Amino acid sequence: MNESGLTQRRSPGLTRRGFLLGVGSTALLSGCATSATSGPVKQAAGAVTVQSNLSSAQAKVAIEALAKAFSARGGASATVNTVASETFRTQLPSYLTSATPPDTYTWYPGSILAGYARKGLLLDVGDVWQTMGAYSDTFRKLSGDGTGKLVFVPTTYYWWGFFYRKSNFAKWGVQAPTNWSEFLALCETLKAKGVEPIGIGAGGNTPWTASSWFDYLNIRINGAQYHRDLLAGKSRFDDPRVVKVFEQWKTALPYFDSRGTAIAFQDATTSLLQGRTGMVLTGTFFTDAAPKDVLDDLDFFQFPVLDTAVPVVEEGPTDGFFASSKTAHLDATKEWLKYVATAEAQELYIKNSSGTALPTHPDAKDAGTPLVAKGRKMLQDAKDLTQFFNRDSSDALQPTADAALIRFIQKPQELTSILNEWQAAAQKVWAE
Amino acid sequence: MTALATPVRAGTNAAPARAKKRKGLPPVLLAFVLVPLLVEGFWVLWPALQGFYLSLTSWDGVSAPEWTGFGNYAEMFGDPTFRTAALNTLIWLVLFGGLSAVGGLGLAMFLQRERRGVGFYRAALFTPVVFSLVATSLIWQGLYQPDGLINKLLGALGLESWQHAWLADSNTALYAVLVPALWRQLGYVMVLYLAGLKGIDPALYEAAKLDGVTRWQQFRYVTWPQLRGVNSVILSVIVIDSLRSFDVVWAMTKGGPYHSSELLSTYMYATAFQSLRLGYASALAVVIFVLAFGVIVTYLVRAFKEDTV
Repeated sequence: MNESGLTQRRSPGLTRRGFLLGVGSTALLSGCATSATSGPVKQAAGAVTVQSNLSSAQAKVAIEALAKAFSARGGASATVNTVASETFRTQLPSYLTSATPPDTYTWYPGSILAGYARKGLLLDVGDVWQTMGAYSDTFRKLSGDGTGKLVFVPTTYYWWGFFYRKSNFAKWGVQAPTNWSEFLALCETLKAKGVEPIGIGAGGNTPWTASSWFDYLNIRINGAQYHRDLLAGKSRFDDPRVVKVFEQWKTALPYFDSRGTAIAFQDATTSLLQGRTGMVLTGTFFTDAAPKDVLDDLDFFQFPVLDTAVPVVEEGPTDGFFASSKTAHLDATKEWLKYVATAEAQELYIKNSSGTALPTHPDAKDAGTPLVAKGRKMLQDAKDLTQFFNRDSSDALQPTADAALIRFIQKPQELTSILNEWQAAAQKVWAE
Repeated sequence: MTALATPVRAGTNAAPARAKKRKGLPPVLLAFVLVPLLVEGFWVLWPALQGFYLSLTSWDGVSAPEWTGFGNYAEMFGDPTFRTAALNTLIWLVLFGGLSAVGGLGLAMFLQRERRGVGFYRAALFTPVVFSLVATSLIWQGLYQPDGLINKLLGALGLESWQHAWLADSNTALYAVLVPALWRQLGYVMVLYLAGLKGIDPALYEAAKLDGVTRWQQFRYVTWPQLRGVNSVILSVIVIDSLRSFDVVWAMTKGGPYHSSELLSTYMYATAFQSLRLGYASALAVVIFVLAFGVIVTYLVRAFKEDTV
């Protein structure tokens, strides 16, 4: 029964980590792994294990190509274990606390990372950083554990925006807006043409996509610092400034796809590509699942500025790797991290993926398409970069946002009680 | 169940006989009792006790647990999501349990008599039991989609106003999730009842017919009392299945939208593995355990006591 799954965690001699990773690791990991090249977690030969949550088709090909190229250089070699994203996320604590953990992991910076670092579970990669050259300070700041120790190696980042199909906008005779009133006018025009103006895929297993709206409205209205403070528990969700965010959101709410909270993110982007919805606020990762031939037809516009007094900040989530402090292959692991930080490796990754991610290495070339150039410029012009709701706060806080935001989209008139309940739920997470 | 029934019997009439025998109990037999007890103790009882201990702490799964006493239980009283989950579990128990018992009995009565082709219907109704509930959920999730089969059918029948985002609407999500669970459970309960009905001596019905009873009286005074043993099995099965219902809800809605289809089991899982509040989740687990254990033990002890008298 369910209890026994929980309680096994504490029995001495049979700790959960001992059980999961000692007995079940091979079965668990290779069972979940979708990759034919997956090896066992620990190898006598000494290959670096790369625990990867990049399970969408093109991203998986790209990370495997990266490992192959790394192994082909001679010296250390790497094997990739691809695990479904959700499994990866929930198993991460057990991976890291195991006696024989996988060596390196795909992950992102944020409070989770800092939390693990403070518990001594992450490898200090300061010496890797010394070989990495002129990475920007933004990335260096993101990769720290808060005490000055570096525990993360960033490899790619991406941008968010309102994506649309150029051909559809031409067909409907509309143009990308530059401010909020133009944005609402655009929505009105699309609605009149029988198109759902704003697509969103906050149903199924992807309610978190709604958080992008909250993030953007909050950084546009209250600024990045307030946003981070709020997510860190230094302000309240029933604060009048948060209410302002939702009041602004209400003006766009009538233009949201009526099925938005019933369909998953993948269906929402399919709807966009098929022209059923006009635009979707999303990150470039959605192109990993889009057909190659539509990539050229895609364009995006920046989330409109709402208050010119607030510095323009963008969401620029960064991805990369960290390593376990208990790795049995210390040198090989560091070699891998040094490799993925090189311009050459990042270009290889981008070439094999859908190509919309941006390399973190200052000299690495991106895919070079007009779309990518535009995205890169937007992030470069931004005064600051935020990561994403769960990255700036924590994965534990995300479900509280999901419940509140989905309810807001469906029942905006209940705003007061929504915010009160959100605050109560968030407080429990912060208290932990 | 037999394990629970034994002490009752032993206490009434078998006690003196057993006391005499115990002197000569051979070591092999003793091992047969003690070894499983040790295994059970190590794998079931000890973890259960650890779970109870954890429910008195605050623990994130990585650092050391912090002792909080009954704080987690106190928190439940003020937790609206817990109240929703508990209420939904109750609704689930009544609807899922009740409908599957009534429906299963109805189907069993209907398909009990041997006639041509009846085997096909029995098999067809039992087939859903064979499928994994997660796979079933995924298929039903497709059916419930905004332009899935169910809405298309409603549209074709001219019932556009009935069309719904079934799983995304907080008013319908719980019931939409309940349907596939029921769809599966019905066949299972039906088979149990069929077995029970087969066990009734036909002579009883003949005697009843000679007395000229109506169909209802036949059911009331012959079938129902004869099914008492089966009923207690089915009651424990449906109570356990209701309380452990998790897979179907998790696969279809994850307890959403905004906790409207949350059951105690999904809330416990979400608290443990999404919010990483393992102490509070353990407290929820203890509540589920007490509920299941309470209901089943009370009922079974009573049911088997009546049997032995």
